[in-house]
Amino acid sequence: MAETPKQATHEGTEAAGGHASGGLPQFDPQWWPGQIIWLLIIFVALYVVLSKALLPKVGKAIDERAGRIEGDIAEARRMKDEAEAQAQAAASEMAEARARSQKLAADAKAHAAAETAKRQAKEEAVLHEKLSAAETRIKAARDEAMGNVRSIAVETAQAITERLTGQAATAAQAQAAAAKLA
Amino acid sequence: MAIDPMHQFAIHEVVHIDPVNVPGLGLVNLSITNSVLWMGIAALVVCGFLLASARGAVVPGRLQSLGESLYGLVDNLTSSMIGHEGRKFLPFVFTLFSFILVMNLFGLIAIPGVGAPFTATSQLAVTLTLALVTFITVIVIGFIRNGFGFFKLFVPSGVPWPLLFLLVPIEFISFMVRPVTLSLRLFGNMLGGHVVLKIFASFVIGLGAFALTGGLASLGFVGSALSLGTVVALTALEFIVAFLQAFVFAALACVYINDVVNLHAH
Repeated sequence: MAETPKQATHEGTEAAGGHASGGLPQFDPQWWPGQIIWLLIIFVALYVVLSKALLPKVGKAIDERAGRIEGDIAEARRMKDEAEAQAQAAASEMAEARARSQKLAADAKAHAAAETAKRQAKEEAVLHEKLSAAETRIKAARDEAMGNVRSIAVETAQAITERLTGQAATAAQAQAAAAKLA
Repeated sequence: MAIDPMHQFAIHEVVHIDPVNVPGLGLVNLSITNSVLWMGIAALVVCGFLLASARGAVVPGRLQSLGESLYGLVDNLTSSMIGHEGRKFLPFVFTLFSFILVMNLFGLIAIPGVGAPFTATSQLAVTLTLALVTFITVIVIGFIRNGFGFFKLFVPSGVPWPLLFLLVPIEFISFMVRPVTLSLRLFGNMLGGHVVLKIFASFVIGLGAFALTGGLASLGFVGSALSLGTVVALTALEFIVAFLQAFVFAALACVYINDVVNLHAH
């Protein structure tokens, strides 16, 4: 240590060669105090600059980015939920509309069917009435015809009897005979 | 032709400053040496790099993402080793890590017109100082947070008391040698790597010059080429070592800080 000032001034590459023969230059104590003191000064200065000024900036940028990404993701998720809700609402509206239209169609069909049935029934009733009227008429005509047949038979019987016997049978006799035959 | 592999570690003055009388130490040569110069440049590089990368853009550029991934690396280290209080110690660990990393990497580059920077971390004085700074910081943190409970660090819990007569001295010694191991690991790695590189590099030139003498000596070219390949491979390895040793130093600093921060968790 005592020779430090004197030797320091001559120190150079030539002197370094001398050190090598005597061991590692690292173990030469004359350079230790200067290196240690300067290192402490530099290290403390670097620590102060990094911890007070530079590292907080880097950390802030990273945190801000993380916050921003988180916020963006939350926003995107919210929008997605909203869109999903809207899609769901639209789907339910559509289903409702479909149900309504189906009901409407069913109603119309039922209405039409009822109308048709009613009309058919009415028509059938009219036809039935006409049929039964016709039947009545036919029956009447037949009865009348049948009635006429008896009087014709009675008259014919009177005529035959008169021809055969030459004696006219009274209408009452002829009628009695006809009734017996019938 | 003798190439001295230790010459690269020699310190010389760059700017002479008359010895200063430091109280308690006597006269100290505070001249700016090559070692001090490159320490300062390393610190400036760290600051410049962070200044360039701390622009705070939401979408980071290349430099910013490099700076942020470095920050994230140390942040992960402190928070995984120290826990939720790790952020408090991030500046200290980051300073150690980045400063050592840049000083290590300086040993592996050459600047055109300037030459090879001096590798300050190949100086035992430097690594020992860094280790002692870490060691003393750990002790100070330990006393601030635990008071005299700090001494519980040397008393393993859950041990039958007669064993403590054996274990406490062991714990104490293992604690006290921490700065030694911390400094020697970094110093040894840097020293060894640089010496090996220098020796192989001297083979390239030495064997090449020998081969130029002609005749059978021409075979020296083979050895020269092999040495060159080795230097290239070793340089790649040394880049890994440079990063790894800075990381190991920072990781061990975290381990030591964790010991005193979470003293009661043990």
